[in-house]
Amino acid sequence: MLEVTGFTKRFRGIAALDNVDFSLNEGEVHALLGENGAGKSTLINLIAGTFPWAEGVYRINGRTITSLTPQVAQEIGIAAVFQEFSLVPDLTVLENIFLGREQSGSFFLKRRQMRQAGTELLDGLGFHLPLDEKVAFLSRAQKQMVEIAKALRMRPKVLILDEPTASLTDGEADKLFHAVALLKARGVGIIYVSHRMSEIRNLSDRVTVLRGGKRIGTVVTSEISDEGLIEMMVGRPVEQLFPSIEHRPGAARLEVQNLTTQDHSVIGASFVARAGEVVGLAGLVGCGRSELCRAVFGLETIEAGTITVGDKTIARPSPASMLANKVCYFPADRGSEGLAMARSARENATMSSLDLPALSAGPVLKFWREREVIKAPLADLALRPMAPERKVSAFSGGNQQKLMLARGLMRPFDVYLFDEPTVGIDVGAKVDVYNLIKSLVEAGASVVVSTSELPELINLASRVYVMHEGKVVAELGQAELTEAQILSHYFGGRA
Amino acid sequence: MSTPSGTKAQSVGPLSGAAIKDMLLAARLPIAIVVTLVLFGLVEPRVLSLGNFRNIAIQASYLAIFAMAQTMVILTRGFDLSLGYTVSLVSVAASMAMVAMGGGDASILYGIGIGILIAAVIGLANGLLIAGIGINPLVTTLGMANMVMALASTISGGFPVTGLPRGLTAEFAQGSLLSIPIPIWFAGLVYALLFLTLKATKFGRSLYIIGANPRAAVAAGIRTLPVLVLAYTLCAVLAALGALLLTARTGSGEPNLGGNLTLEAIAAAVVGGVRLSGGEGGVGAALLGALFITVLSNGMNLVQIDGYLQQICLGVIIIVSLIVNRDVARR
Repeated sequence: MLEVTGFTKRFRGIAALDNVDFSLNEGEVHALLGENGAGKSTLINLIAGTFPWAEGVYRINGRTITSLTPQVAQEIGIAAVFQEFSLVPDLTVLENIFLGREQSGSFFLKRRQMRQAGTELLDGLGFHLPLDEKVAFLSRAQKQMVEIAKALRMRPKVLILDEPTASLTDGEADKLFHAVALLKARGVGIIYVSHRMSEIRNLSDRVTVLRGGKRIGTVVTSEISDEGLIEMMVGRPVEQLFPSIEHRPGAARLEVQNLTTQDHSVIGASFVARAGEVVGLAGLVGCGRSELCRAVFGLETIEAGTITVGDKTIARPSPASMLANKVCYFPADRGSEGLAMARSARENATMSSLDLPALSAGPVLKFWREREVIKAPLADLALRPMAPERKVSAFSGGNQQKLMLARGLMRPFDVYLFDEPTVGIDVGAKVDVYNLIKSLVEAGASVVVSTSELPELINLASRVYVMHEGKVVAELGQAELTEAQILSHYFGGRA
Repeated sequence: MSTPSGTKAQSVGPLSGAAIKDMLLAARLPIAIVVTLVLFGLVEPRVLSLGNFRNIAIQASYLAIFAMAQTMVILTRGFDLSLGYTVSLVSVAASMAMVAMGGGDASILYGIGIGILIAAVIGLANGLLIAGIGINPLVTTLGMANMVMALASTISGGFPVTGLPRGLTAEFAQGSLLSIPIPIWFAGLVYALLFLTLKATKFGRSLYIIGANPRAAVAAGIRTLPVLVLAYTLCAVLAALGALLLTARTGSGEPNLGGNLTLEAIAAAVVGGVRLSGGEGGVGAALLGALFITVLSNGMNLVQIDGYLQQICLGVIIIVSLIVNRDVARR
């Protein structure tokens, strides 16, 4: 149905996509796999008409297309849902779905018709959304559903989904998978970009792997192993995704008792993290595990409860005081809270360490020592490219993540709080992050990982606390760490 | 294939076309200043005289001090819309203090002290309202501007304050050191101090990080409240310094001294390349921006372009340089 051959695109002389072939059949889910910067985004943007291709032939339903804009792409039946949403927060769900395609009579909008069409569209997908709610008040998963509904109102033949589950929890993702299956049955061809191996395995018929802008190969999903796909993606065999961590739980390093935040996103939560172990925090997005980490680090206002670091009780935590007490926090969203994108890699690596004697004396910043001080941490993290003066925004997602993690290596900490440490980074960078966690723990630190990735909890943690609606509802020991066990507590049930 | 000229340019000499282009873009403001001078010089040779250069340098010094002051808060994603009226208030208050103290040379220090103190209070209030209570900088400093303007008019009755010490208006204002006029020394001093502050202090680095991403700064353990309060205070105190220098030159305390300065200072900083979105730029950029705007208005004055037309030209230049700066930053 859709076929592109010899697609090439250069940005400032550098080939982002180099002679790539890609095809999509009716009713097929064709996954695109590759590390950050492999050319996946470029390819889907070319197909969706965001920018023109330099060389190559674009054919859809036997027709050859010579040039494309997003509008024309929509008209010939190509719809895309990108990671960045194109919704208007102040409009309702219904208004967003029909944005720019309002049905009107001679003058007035045909509200009733639009409402009916909207309801049918959502029902057909199995999405339950309040049509008159403003989009600003929806969860990220619901926004994603609106975005998909919006893409589908034109009845496209081709639907592009760019990492649709990046910020959804497993339960929310299931709804999405259901919708994908429905669309597939209707004959819609779907281009599916994802970093998650299990999704690609469960959903896709074929996989095309890109690396460095080139097509490495297209394979039938059922005929290749996960290891095979990863090897195609990174270009070398990867023995295993998760390192085996030796946990040696020692003294309690961080103890939280009956913590309640002012906004009640965390209610009466207690947990303990010991030296030499990884503690997992599990639960749906919005269950309060992120807020729990943030509250411990002083980023949420605390209403009640105690936080003890080592043998010191900290009454009113602030990021500065927690850092001084050897607690390090890595935010979930590196763009909005982790990094100063417009500043250099060097400044980002040192920004939480300006008080270190190696970097300052009183108010004076020893800028002349900075490059030396960051050398070892950045080398340990294998920053690519090793360009400390480059702006952070010019690095790939995985390397931006490393730059945020660098702050944890500038000096020894007793406790490391990771919030969603591998969101939106490629497999190679994930392995680097897991190995970092391993080395921290085995050196005797205490690591807390809050994540929506079940495999991370099962493979990295020695104990897992499951949260639901702000409360800790279960604590699971290593023997109980299975997907089924963890999931059984996700909705608050005491299985 | 499609661009044979591009490949040809790359193979010529050790410097590729792209590298030369990058260098030209980096030096775009000095180039613009020289080109502007030469163009005006072709029409009116007096533009290129030594005396005029001296004039430009003195005029640019005042604007540069104000632009550098603004830069300290623009770097944090802020503004100080009260800067101009702070200049007015400091001018009249310092003058009145000096007159009240007898108008002798001994009263100069009182005037300076009062002026700096008033500015520090204004800056402190701005900083506390913005960083402590979390009111938008635009609204905060706009409100402050109104209050300060009213105060300046009220205490002076709307009239210039005359009778300033001769030591200030004649010997100091007209003086020079090593044959370099006093205002230029001050602009240079402020530049050196702020340059070092931004590069070699934790405060300076924090300004950049806060401006580039305030939430990331907090999560990185940077205490934003003292940094922002200090930034606004520093901005106001530097404005007071500029106000005292201007007062010395005009020879009287002027309630209308600073009317246009707020926007001129922001314009100079932005033309120089300080980003309004925070976190990018420096005092060197503000200095060059101030010099460019001064060269431009000096040239337009000498070739006798109509005053309103001058304003239109300045507006166009500001917008064009904003677009250029944005495109360069995106590369």
